[in-house]
Amino acid sequence: MAKNTVAPSEKQTTEQETTSVSASLARSGNQNNLRNIGLIIEREFKNRVTQRSFRISTAIILILIVIGSFVPTIVAYISSVSNSQTKVVVVNNTGTIAGMNNVALQQYFKASLNGTTTGQSTSTKPAYSINTVTTDTISNFQKQVMDGSTGVLLVLNRTPAQDVQFTYYTNANPVSDSNVSNVQGVASQLSILDRASRLGLTPDQTGKLFAQPQFTVVNIGQSQNNRSVSDIVAGYILAYAGIILIFMSVYLYGVTVATGVAEEKGSRIMEILVNAATPFQLMTGKIIGIGSAGLAQMTAFVIVGISALLIQNPIKAALIGNNSSALNLNITGSSITLLLLLLVYFILGFLLYATLFAAMGALVKRQDEVNNAVQPLTWLFMVGYFVSFFGIYNPDATWVKVVSYIPFWTPTTMLMRIGVGSATWWEILLTIVIMIVSIFVCAIFAARIYRYGVLMYGQKPSLRQLFKIARMN
Amino acid sequence: MGLKVEHIDKSFGQLHVIKDLSMEVKEGSIFGFLGANGAGKTTTMRMILDILRPDCGSITWNGKDMRDIPRHNLGYLPEERGLYPKVEVQEQLLFLARLNGLSKTAALAQLDEWLERFEIPQYRNRKVEELSKGNQQKIQFLATILHDPLILIMDEPFSGLDPVNANLLKDALLEMHRRGKTMIFSTHQLEQVEELCEDVVIIDKGQTIIAGSVREVKRQQGRNVARLKLDNDSEARWLDALEGVQVTKRRQDYIEMHIQSNLNPNLIVEEALCHGAIISRFELGEPSLTDIFIERVGKTALQDASPVIATQAGGMK
Repeated sequence: MAKNTVAPSEKQTTEQETTSVSASLARSGNQNNLRNIGLIIEREFKNRVTQRSFRISTAIILILIVIGSFVPTIVAYISSVSNSQTKVVVVNNTGTIAGMNNVALQQYFKASLNGTTTGQSTSTKPAYSINTVTTDTISNFQKQVMDGSTGVLLVLNRTPAQDVQFTYYTNANPVSDSNVSNVQGVASQLSILDRASRLGLTPDQTGKLFAQPQFTVVNIGQSQNNRSVSDIVAGYILAYAGIILIFMSVYLYGVTVATGVAEEKGSRIMEILVNAATPFQLMTGKIIGIGSAGLAQMTAFVIVGISALLIQNPIKAALIGNNSSALNLNITGSSITLLLLLLVYFILGFLLYATLFAAMGALVKRQDEVNNAVQPLTWLFMVGYFVSFFGIYNPDATWVKVVSYIPFWTPTTMLMRIGVGSATWWEILLTIVIMIVSIFVCAIFAARIYRYGVLMYGQKPSLRQLFKIARMN
Repeated sequence: MGLKVEHIDKSFGQLHVIKDLSMEVKEGSIFGFLGANGAGKTTTMRMILDILRPDCGSITWNGKDMRDIPRHNLGYLPEERGLYPKVEVQEQLLFLARLNGLSKTAALAQLDEWLERFEIPQYRNRKVEELSKGNQQKIQFLATILHDPLILIMDEPFSGLDPVNANLLKDALLEMHRRGKTMIFSTHQLEQVEELCEDVVIIDKGQTIIAGSVREVKRQQGRNVARLKLDNDSEARWLDALEGVQVTKRRQDYIEMHIQSNLNPNLIVEEALCHGAIISRFELGEPSLTDIFIERVGKTALQDASPVIATQAGGMK
């Protein structure tokens, strides 16, 4: 290299320095390439998973996941235990309604009220107890409502037009009283039955009159036609969860990579390491090592999370004897495909960003500068994150499609598109190929910056200089 | 043959750090690399290791370009601590040795031997950050030699060691010498150099100022030290007027002076007798490397007003 000592300008000298450093570490160092990378992967992985902070945070998150998935069950259980029966007194001053006398009416209320809320409940007592009487003096019952021994007093009268008129007495706050709507629902049914019987219809005829019509939804939009509604719902849920998971984990482990590099640089062990292994080996080993530790952690989260959700239904059935309000997340074939693609996009996304994070980590002087240095990468990643969240309402829009082909944004955006069913298999394949190519390009770029950065403790180079470094040799 | 550094130059930006530096380290010898802080020692070592590359000039080992020497033949002890602070001693030493090509069993055998030799087998499973500075330095040395390199390049290996541990390290260096290793080390403790090294180079501001075998360097300095004690005249002010004599210390027990090599020491005795002095002690000695270092480097360092060197050079207490 020609020496330029005649009043060298700042720029020239930095370039000079750059050339000499990066050139020096480019020596033919592929001695034991794979062996060294393997050793570094092993060290990084072990170092990560034996760290107390890693173990504690993993344990805490696992506990939170389990608690989170149990919360709905626990809430349902507590409310079912603590909610004692609501005593309903029905004062029937109408004679027979829809051909039902007091006894039949009591049965009807019992079946309707308890049936609508707890289904085929067998193990615990029903939510409502019904007592039907006929009396003109309701003041006694009103007193009972006042002192709380009776929950609801329902008085049935006939209007001059012979319609049944319902009067509902309660002591509860009308805003939070869920009994009103339940009772009102039964009342309107009863009223219809009563009118129908007065019109001379048999209960059977009335039943036919109000039978649900056949109603089929056919979606003729692309690629939705083969999916059942529950598949589509599961797709949305998995897509949302997957996008958040990918965003958090890629960012988290990317920062771990950058911090790890800065740490080695700060502790000066880098000076020994570059004598034993090439920068490329060091970078690759670090990324894969930390990546596998991250993947192990993520896998634990996902497996524990899904198993915890899956055992909710049996637990709920055993505790409350109630299935109807549980989350129906069926792990069907298409959900499993989505999970696999989540894994693929996580790995690709991590590799792509980790190379850049490693390069950024190599450029900082001290560890506490890492967070600032990786800021641009965070913003870059955020774009894809937001596109996936807003694009979910319009997944077939051209701009969403375009964004999903840009490798930095592919993982989150494609996952969203696959989740809502707007991506075809060849698009999935194509984006994966694009990502793999980009990973190689970024790895080469990053390895050069890494090579330059790891032993530099001086001024941070500008973006323009970075490109120069990357273009050299 | 051995290691040859020829006419290397290195600049960082406008800073011209190394200027036309040359030195030769014989194969199998111990070589002292001296210089004040910031003289360019670490930069030169990094260039020998091919971590940095000189702007021009060449560095060869037995005639072969240093870049073509497999890395595991080199052992480097950096000046600052270069270890994972939170990793256990055994784990990181094994990792580094294996990264340098050793098998796990071979690395373990080496580790056992050296931990025993350094009297620290109990620290095997301790984290480095929990150890004292001296013990960390020992671990750092093990990281340098465990993979059995041919050439050891050590940046201040004695820093932070107490006299007992310094002796342990000295013995270890001599053991490596017996095994035929070539060693280059820098230090500020010049007694270690006199004790261990055959050859020495002193650099200042990136330039060689003194080079050669320790004995030659002392002789070449062209002056000797004389110590004089007079029973009836502890000051002996007349010495100051004497040509070729420079008093360096006036102490309670004796006066120390540098005399030029062409000056006959008898002259001092004659002069003393002329002044009616009663001589109780007169001795001649070689200058120590410390004296030479302070004389040659101290002068230039003084202009920089480097406080450490300045007090040493002017230390006439």
